Order: sequence, then C-alpha cells, then structure tokens
Amino acid sequence: MEFEARHSPQLIEVRMTGRLEFTDHDSLPDIVALLDRPGLEQFMLDLSDLAFIDSAGLGMLLILQEEAEQRNAKLVVRGPRDDVRRSLDLARIGDILTIEY
Amino acid sequence: MTSGVPWTWLGSVTSSRLNIESALTGPALSPARAFCVVRDRVPADVAARAASRFGLAKEGAGSSRSTAAMLVAEASRDTVRRALDQNSFLTVELTELEDTTGAIDGDWLGAPPVEHGFYLSLTTGTAYGMQCAVLVCDELARRGVLRPERRGNIELCLHEAIANAIVHGNMGIPSSAKEKPEGYRLFGQLLKERLGDHDVRQRRLDIFARWSGDSLNIAVVDQGGGFDTTALPEQADGGAHSGRGFLFMRALAKRVSVTDGGRCTVLHFDL
Repeated sequence: MEFEARHSPQLIEVRMTGRLEFTDHDSLPDIVALLDRPGLEQFMLDLSDLAFIDSAGLGMLLILQEEAEQRNAKLVVRGPRDDVRRSLDLARIGDILTIEY
Repeated sequence: MTSGVPWTWLGSVTSSRLNIESALTGPALSPARAFCVVRDRVPADVAARAASRFGLAKEGAGSSRSTAAMLVAEASRDTVRRALDQNSFLTVELTELEDTTGAIDGDWLGAPPVEHGFYLSLTTGTAYGMQCAVLVCDELARRGVLRPERRGNIELCLHEAIANAIVHGNMGIPSSAKEKPEGYRLFGQLLKERLGDHDVRQRRLDIFARWSGDSLNIAVVDQGGGFDTTALPEQADGGAHSGRGFLFMRALAKRVSVTDGGRCTVLHFDL
C-alpha cells in the first residue's frame, strides 16, 4: 500500500492506493503521526483507489479510528469500491466506522 | 568447481513425505514425476543431490511435464511464476543452505502428484510480501480452473489462510499482540524481528491446490506451533483489531477445515 496526504487546518486527507494487507503494519505509525496536528477535526481516509484490503487491513482502519478519537478527530472512510467494499461489507465495518460510498 | 544445470530434467521421483492429500479428494496419478531446475546457476552437484534425495531414476526416465517438479533458488515473484508456467506439479524453493551446500535437506512437505493440481513450497522469507494468493490465483486462472467471477472471493480466502500461516504460524506472532495499548506498534516490531530471524525465514509455507470438474480445494500448511482450533471465533468482536480472517474464510468458502493442530487449513470451493 502507498499513501499520500494533504491537509487543511481542520482536515487531513489520506489517499491509499494498491493493497492494504498484513505486510503494511509498518506504514501505520507514519499515518498515525499525521494526526498529531493541533485543531484537527476530521480525518478523511480515501479508499477509492485501493484495490484490496484483508482482515488485517480492516484492523488497521479500526486502529486509525481509535487514534483519531483520542485526538478528538472524526474518521470518515470514503469511496471503497469493488473488492474493498466487499471486505468492508462482509465484516460489517459500516456498523463501526463512518463510510461514505 | 561445479557447472550450471540449465532447465535440466533430472529423472523421476517415487517418494513423498506427507499425506496432506487425505484432506483433499480424488485419485492420484502415477507417482513418477520429473525434476528440473529453474535457474541456470544451480550447481550440478545440487541437482545431483536433489536427484538422490528424491530417489530419482535416470535423467528423463518416465517424466512428463504434467507431473514435473521445479526447484527454484533465490525465488523472486517472476522466478516462481516462470516455474509455475512449466505446468509442473511441484514447485519448490531451495533454501539458502540447499543452494550453497547442495544439502537438499529442507523439510518441505510435498504430496503425491495429481493431474489436476499443483504444489508450491516457499520459505517464509520469500513468501512474505510476495502476495502468494495472487500468484496462486493467477496460476489457477492460467490453467483454466478459476473464472474471473469466482476469483475475488477465492483469492481473499486464500490470502487470509496464507497470512495466518505466515504471521501466526511460522512467525509465531499471536493476534492478541494487536489488542494491547498501541498494540500495532508491538505487532509491527514483532514482524520486523521475526523477519530478521534466519530460522523463521527458512520455515516453509506449502500450498497444495487440487481441483475436479466443479470443485477446488486448496491446502495451506505452515511449520509453526499450531493453535487451539476450538477457540476460533464464531463472529468478530465489535471493534477488535483481529480475528476476522477465519470469518472471511467461513463466509466465502464452501467449507473450511483445519487439521494438524492448526498447521493445515483446507479451503473447499465450488467452481
């Protein structure tokens, strides 16, 4: 998985591409570090260009939500498609995370 | 000084060391099969010892491509794909020790060859990050087994079984590590440590795919410590960071069976 981030004072947006899977744990601290911004209110995770996510990747989304909440920011997952949406639906992640399709 | 053995058929083999085919159904072919070496710098003495270990007959005797075995050294994704392209039954990555000393004493498992199947054995160090499920599904598609509309679910199931075999099996990292405070940092640290452990990197991941007209069975075998198969979760625990892999498998496969104390997961699919 590769990611790129852009931000405004209250919003940080991370766009993931490729495959988010168990070998991507080493990327997680780098993404969490992006949240350390005073005044951050929303963390937008754009999955529209992500091709695959496994159960470990879903776990990472939940970790990112917890890290965002600890900083009083709200995580919104945007645009999951195809196999990624299948995995999110299968695990009923929409019951836990805010997802914008 | 040894000379290279480029794509050489070494002979037929008549023995196997493990019986995981009992978890899969269907008749086996004649046990005779041939060996060849994918890479042109595999030394002649390594090839000779491989022939000796597997009880090979004279070069080329009784061989057919459908039951051949490939030995792969320094396996890259492209090398493995090239080996699979030969339509062999067995594709085995040589360990570093085997490659340098010609010992051919790796404990890869193997299975009696079948016409409609293939067997891939890789070390953990190689398999990690190789996206083996993609590789295997590409091969199943190339052999005309996997239709595009069935691929997504089968690939996800296989990916989960392989991830479990690598991380929880061969690397011995428990899911519970993720559930601790800042557990993802601990989990990432454990992954890094285990990937740097030579013995862990050499542990094998074996994948045995076998199919008939309307069904596909894939066994994923590791060399880890196993686990309590009665403790598998029936459903995910809310916001838990782990435990969904088996749920995916159960939801998407026709049947999932776990044997050998948790070291062998067999996925059964309708095609």
